[in-house]
Amino acid sequence: MSAELAVAAPAPAAASAAPAAPLMPAGEPLGAEAETGERTIVAFLCRECAYSAADAAGNARTPLPPTIRTVLVPCTGRVSPLHVLSALAEGADGVYLAGCLEGQCHHRVGNLHALDRVAFLRELLGSVGVEPERVAMFTMSAADTPRFVATARAMHATIARLPRLRRG
Amino acid sequence: MPLSARGRRISGELAETGAPVSPGVMGCEVVRRPELCVGCGRCVAACPTGAMSQDGWFDPAVLYAAPAGTGRGDLAAALHRIARHDPSGPIRVPERVLTFRAVVFDAERCVGCGACARACPTGAVAAGPVTSMPTPPRALAEMGSRP
Repeated sequence: MSAELAVAAPAPAAASAAPAAPLMPAGEPLGAEAETGERTIVAFLCRECAYSAADAAGNARTPLPPTIRTVLVPCTGRVSPLHVLSALAEGADGVYLAGCLEGQCHHRVGNLHALDRVAFLRELLGSVGVEPERVAMFTMSAADTPRFVATARAMHATIARLPRLRRG
Repeated sequence: MPLSARGRRISGELAETGAPVSPGVMGCEVVRRPELCVGCGRCVAACPTGAMSQDGWFDPAVLYAAPAGTGRGDLAAALHRIARHDPSGPIRVPERVLTFRAVVFDAERCVGCGACARACPTGAVAAGPVTSMPTPPRALAEMGSRP
């Protein structure tokens, strides 16, 4: 028993001494990632679908853009314009909502309300001179992990093309 | 509801015939404070004559007039931090966004019943005693002209 322990003990030290595997493998098509590494994108994820997809992506060790910060919400219909505008005002460069497919909302119409709110917010941002692309909404099913990864990367690429959000 | 069934029927007839009583003559005077309005539409639902209605537009400029500490005030503060210029004009409100539509008050159809003031959760509509009487009823004017 003690011999086994003695053999097993050095293993963690050896692992830490070796160079840690990079979280973002080289060659991932993430656009101007080095230049935009300090930006922040807040993602409001629906508990019923998009959060499960994100969870599966994490379990599969799929590389995600380092700018994404996820927030769990019970439904995308819970996200009010104040949540999105507060995130933008407090430091986020982009905000997106990820919810269920249309017609498959766990709460029947929450994602449809969210879609209209996002459309309203984009108009509101456009009327004060902020790029409407900073706010977006995507829909996906709980099993559609590739779509979650694709939308996260698409949002990252969109925000990478825009200048940093100026705050007064 | 402050109106009885009979009152609602009479008010409905007034609205249909298009001959409502002008404000300040009957009932209360309705005073609106648009900066407190959150566009919930309860006054529209409560109004028996259709004097209150919601259109499909929202002017972001009215957000900035909202008092601090309210939800609207917080929204205006957040928007003000990231805004590059003043709002360029009214924007279209989508169908499922329920709480941003501007409430339009039609004084011609108001009978001064005060149902809107009772329904308003933010105090944006108040109904009180008449302070000015722009057009006195004709019967009163005729009485005054008699010797």
